[in-house]
Amino acid sequence: MSIKHSVKYASFAFALIGVATGVSASDADNFPSKPIQFLVAAGAGGGTDNFARVVRPMFEEAMGGARITVVNLPAASGALAHQRTATSAADGHTLDFASTTLVTSLAAGQNPVGLDQLTPVARMQSDVMALFVNPERFPDFESFVKYAEENPGKVTVGGTHTASPDHVTFLSLRDASGLDMNFIPYDSTGNATANVLGGNIDATTTSLSPLLSYIEAGQMMPILVFSDERLDDYPDVPTTVENDWDLTDGNDRAIFVHADTPAPIMKRLEEAFKEVYDSEDYQSYAERVNLDYREGWMGSDEYRQRLENNYELYSRLLQND
Amino acid sequence: MLEHFLGGLAVVMQPLNLLLLTSAVFIGFIGGALPGISGVILVVILLPVTYGMEPTTAFMVLTAIYGATVFSGLITAILYRAPGTPEAVMTAFDGYPMTQRGEAGKALGIGVLSSAIGGLVGTVALIIFTPMLAKMALKFSSPEYFALAVLGLTVVASLGGRLIFGLIGAALGLFIATIGIDPLTGTSRFTFGNLNLAEGVGLIPVIVGLFAVSEVMKRTLDHENHQPLKKVKVKIFDLPILRQIGMTLSRSSIIGVVIGILPGIGASTAAMVSYSETVRWSKHPEKFGKGAPEGIAAPESANNAAAMGALVPLFALGIPGSGTTAVILGAFIMHGLQPGPMFMLTSSDLIYAVFAGLFIVNFMILLFSKPFIVLFTKLLNVPYSALGPIIIMCCIVGTYSVRNSMFDVWLMMGFGVLGYLLEKINFPLVSIILGLVLGPIAESELRRALSMSQGDFSIFLERPISATLLSIAFLLLAVTLITPLIKRARRKTAAT
Repeated sequence: MSIKHSVKYASFAFALIGVATGVSASDADNFPSKPIQFLVAAGAGGGTDNFARVVRPMFEEAMGGARITVVNLPAASGALAHQRTATSAADGHTLDFASTTLVTSLAAGQNPVGLDQLTPVARMQSDVMALFVNPERFPDFESFVKYAEENPGKVTVGGTHTASPDHVTFLSLRDASGLDMNFIPYDSTGNATANVLGGNIDATTTSLSPLLSYIEAGQMMPILVFSDERLDDYPDVPTTVENDWDLTDGNDRAIFVHADTPAPIMKRLEEAFKEVYDSEDYQSYAERVNLDYREGWMGSDEYRQRLENNYELYSRLLQND
Repeated sequence: MLEHFLGGLAVVMQPLNLLLLTSAVFIGFIGGALPGISGVILVVILLPVTYGMEPTTAFMVLTAIYGATVFSGLITAILYRAPGTPEAVMTAFDGYPMTQRGEAGKALGIGVLSSAIGGLVGTVALIIFTPMLAKMALKFSSPEYFALAVLGLTVVASLGGRLIFGLIGAALGLFIATIGIDPLTGTSRFTFGNLNLAEGVGLIPVIVGLFAVSEVMKRTLDHENHQPLKKVKVKIFDLPILRQIGMTLSRSSIIGVVIGILPGIGASTAAMVSYSETVRWSKHPEKFGKGAPEGIAAPESANNAAAMGALVPLFALGIPGSGTTAVILGAFIMHGLQPGPMFMLTSSDLIYAVFAGLFIVNFMILLFSKPFIVLFTKLLNVPYSALGPIIIMCCIVGTYSVRNSMFDVWLMMGFGVLGYLLEKINFPLVSIILGLVLGPIAESELRRALSMSQGDFSIFLERPISATLLSIAFLLLAVTLITPLIKRARRKTAAT
């Protein structure tokens, strides 16, 4: 046990020495010139962590056998991982695996490392967000809206902590629909779900994949999906876009690097992740964890543009809250 | 159901599975006994290893590790006051004084027996009641959690020692719990712009510092000498002791199961609440903290029962009841399984095999813990000048590994110094832990409950479970505060 940890410790120290001695950064042909570090901006065992650990061997192969260490830095909604990425050498050897929480916590002022210091290599997953209710209570979105209009201020919607993707989804829905609803933050998706199942709160805004088993059992139902098009599995569930609300955000999982990373290295990394994304192994993993409802891949430039837009929107929503 | 269970037992009894299960128990023993390395970390480390296994085997192994770590935290808690897991912190309060009196063997025996009994009660509840208990857990929402935390906090009044110290300690614990980003508003509280504090102060650095580090300091700085323990004889079945702790065991196991089932609060809280209730109902509350056998039996039966109970909402609802079960949930998803309401129907073979595995694990604890403990007691013969640094090293590595944070290590050292100083004035450290564990539950659930009711306090009285819990808390508090006054008044009248 402790030996395993000292190995981890030693390899980590190794990586740090590498960073300190500084390797010529512009040399994309020699990339990677030392062990690559995956910093996971989330705790061990969660969705982002699983994502990083599944991608690791595939990425190793795509990079022609690079050595990779994975370090979890969950503290402060992952802000420590972002900070360490931003202060490391801009040579593409430190990769930050983060979720949408990066941009939501940035908008909330909890994360001091902005998009001027970090830039995305690519987005690989985008879990569809939706509004979920107990179908015995609200059979469809119309009845939910009717109830909310008749009982202003009485509707309670749960989700994970303040400034989480769940929370900004709720805020953007409230902002677009003009319904008077309250958000109750919970420690985890599980707790929010339990409170909807137990009838203690009215609804929850969260991503689709963790709730599939409840939908199958008929205990929970999405009544509104945040998507351009209706999902194949839920043809009767309306979308935000149908309601003329331009809200199609998901809970994303993406890879970030230091903003000054040279373009050739950025290109090399993006290509490697694209190769991973297209591989059969990765696609079967995405299917297994139910993340195949929509295209997960988004390249560096496009995703950066999207994040900048979202940052503006989320800052406004969180400030008005 | 019995059919399913026997089917599961047959799966467990396959030689390969039995071998893996035994190895898992030993890995769990080692990890649990080392301070700072908790079940969560072990499960995460071994997760990739299980990818190559059949799902049934994989989950038997993971849950067995989980069960074994919850048990083995008590070994180092009793022998060195260095709780191997957060779940075992309460065990140190009475276990370590017994070791100091030269009764380590007796203390360990009580711990092993209580763990196994608590674990078995928890497993039986898991097997029989999973669907039913899961429904009950859903009735628990913010008002009920708040009431439960209040009930736990009121015990500060019953703890021995000076009441004012108890109150200061609980307040200090509550204060430490407020550090970090407020989960409800997102405001940073007492972080002074330091990102390391944004996530709050972890339980592990505080526990390891206050107990393990301060003890090493005390023995080194104060040149405290202990009776040399030449031979520790662990006696697990001891009839007179069993008679003494029987009542405590039954009450604590039930408390453990009930609290374990509630999503979001785990075995550490269960150990704390059952310890509190045992102190409260004891005829000799003053003996606790000084080596009372009930003080070991209560937390150990409760935390093992709760560890099993925490699997109920996981299997029945897909909602994890504790940190480790959250990681196990992630493991299920990685194996392409989705725990949830349909899981009991679609994967009953797997579930009953896991249940049967856990059942066996508790017997393995009874059988195998003795030789394992003997290994650890041998360390007692090592001179303290060598053992002390080893304990500190384990504490540093363990604390660091929780969040890969050097800041936590410094925090742990700081709490070590604090613990050392507080013990000089006989300050009850238990009250700090009480505030730290129950504080966040009380605070955030109070605010959550009020936002559910739009600020109306009557929500606590309108809901039957929370109203009952709160009135019990109020009554018990009144009784503990008034009884000494009556006694004093009587003594006065008797004197005149």
